[in-house]
Amino acid sequence: MGRTSSKEDAGALFHSLRSAYAATPVNLKIIDLYVGFAIFTALIQVVYMAIVGSFPFNSFLSGVLSCFGTAVLAVCLRIQVNKENKEFKDLPPERAFADFVLCNLVLHLVIMNFLG
Amino acid sequence: MHSLRIADRSPTPCSPRRFRHQVPLHLLQFPQSRLRPRIQVVPLHLLQFPQSRGFDLEFKLADDPKIALQRYGRYLYDALILFCPSVERFGGSIDLAAIIDFFDSGHDLIIAADSNASDLIREVGNECGVEFDEDPLAVVIDHISYAVSETEGDHTLIASDDLIKSDVILGSKRIVAPILFRGIGHSLNPANNWYVLKVLSASPSAYSANPKSKLSTPPTLIGSAISLVSIVQARNNARILITGSLSMFNNRFFRSGVQKAGSQTKHEKSGNEQFLTEISKWVFHERGHLKAVNVKHHKVGETDEPALYRINDELEYSVEIYEWSGTSWEPYVANDVQVQFYMMSPYVLKTMSHDKKGLFSTSFKVPDVYGVFQFKVEYQKLGYTSLSLSKQIPVRPYKHNEYERFIPAAYPYYGAAFSMMAGFFIFSFVHLYSK
Repeated sequence: MGRTSSKEDAGALFHSLRSAYAATPVNLKIIDLYVGFAIFTALIQVVYMAIVGSFPFNSFLSGVLSCFGTAVLAVCLRIQVNKENKEFKDLPPERAFADFVLCNLVLHLVIMNFLG
Repeated sequence: MHSLRIADRSPTPCSPRRFRHQVPLHLLQFPQSRLRPRIQVVPLHLLQFPQSRGFDLEFKLADDPKIALQRYGRYLYDALILFCPSVERFGGSIDLAAIIDFFDSGHDLIIAADSNASDLIREVGNECGVEFDEDPLAVVIDHISYAVSETEGDHTLIASDDLIKSDVILGSKRIVAPILFRGIGHSLNPANNWYVLKVLSASPSAYSANPKSKLSTPPTLIGSAISLVSIVQARNNARILITGSLSMFNNRFFRSGVQKAGSQTKHEKSGNEQFLTEISKWVFHERGHLKAVNVKHHKVGETDEPALYRINDELEYSVEIYEWSGTSWEPYVANDVQVQFYMMSPYVLKTMSHDKKGLFSTSFKVPDVYGVFQFKVEYQKLGYTSLSLSKQIPVRPYKHNEYERFIPAAYPYYGAAFSMMAGFFIFSFVHLYSK
């Protein structure tokens, strides 16, 4: 069985992941896109802070926290809305969305206060 | 007894009365105690020019029993001239303590000692910061810089031109001819470097010894350490002139020509008159007496003085400095008056610029430190009275609403937070209304 090299294994792994991912429902893919956007914005801010310095540190924390908090809440939404999850089978997706909205409101309230 | 030292307010108080009618008291010595019969030393010229300069002179003999410097607690005279080198005890109510009190209270003094100076005069000199040679028979002898003359051959008449370099003390016109001197020398205590200065020093080849006896040990006072004429300007701005030769002041020396041994130039007139006139002008505060008035400070753009400043404020400071010219206060002109913004150490030190009318001003930014500061002007220049002004002013930090509202360095973070909010809004619509 050692006839396939690791490079071919990596390629095979990558292809299987891609095909599996293509099978996910569209709304989950939208949530994934949203999470990616949040993490990307957080990375931009970290790189900016590394270049310029951490002068208004509270503003930096607030910006980064808003990005990570958004990402976390979106991930929670995805878990609760995903029909393949056995634990949340009985949870109506509207309830999940309402929780998501309320938590985001609290998050943004905190962010605006801490932004300075 | 008004000390002219400054507290934390404003500048030197000067009563105009004092400077209009200076009244020096001239204590002369009774001629009898002279050892050699000679024409009495009558310092005519010195007596004349103070009178022509507006002073009222009073002459008294040193042992006159009615002399007094003060009556009922007030001083009768503004200055004292002692031309009595060998007086053992003063008459009337003057003694060493009275003379010390006189100049401690800010009045001026001229003391002339001579080759038979008494202990009293030596003690007065000691109190002023100079030490005459202890040997009572010693005079200053100089075998290289003596004045060439037909009669005197023991080189005790010396011609000196080693003058201090100061236009305010000696006047702006240079004294070309050497100055004739015959008398005792003194040395200065090095601890008083700033206050006691040598105006006329002896040349490096001079020494102080008895001309009639052979020297058995090397003399203690030698060379340029011997001061012939010294001045003292005390912290209370009293000025004292001390010289070891009473004959410097007499007519004969004023009028005679002088030729320094070893040089070919023979001057028609010695420098004594010019030197003594100019230096007496300095002693009687006709030159070099400063006063500072009208300390003002305000924020740039305003005119009234605030009770406190904020950090990073722009402010302007100004002070008016005048110099007494003998008759009136003239604007002082100098480029080295500095003001400090001081709290334990000067945070700001700036040289002030002047309009030619005596107003010195500068502007600077309050440093980024809060606390209680002082505007300090400490001006000490050779020959001038010292100015010591200080004015206290607090400096406060920013109030909570004086900071910048939006910090430019944080714009990306603001943008990220708002973009997250926008993203959430759009996403929630997309999530709800997509299949």
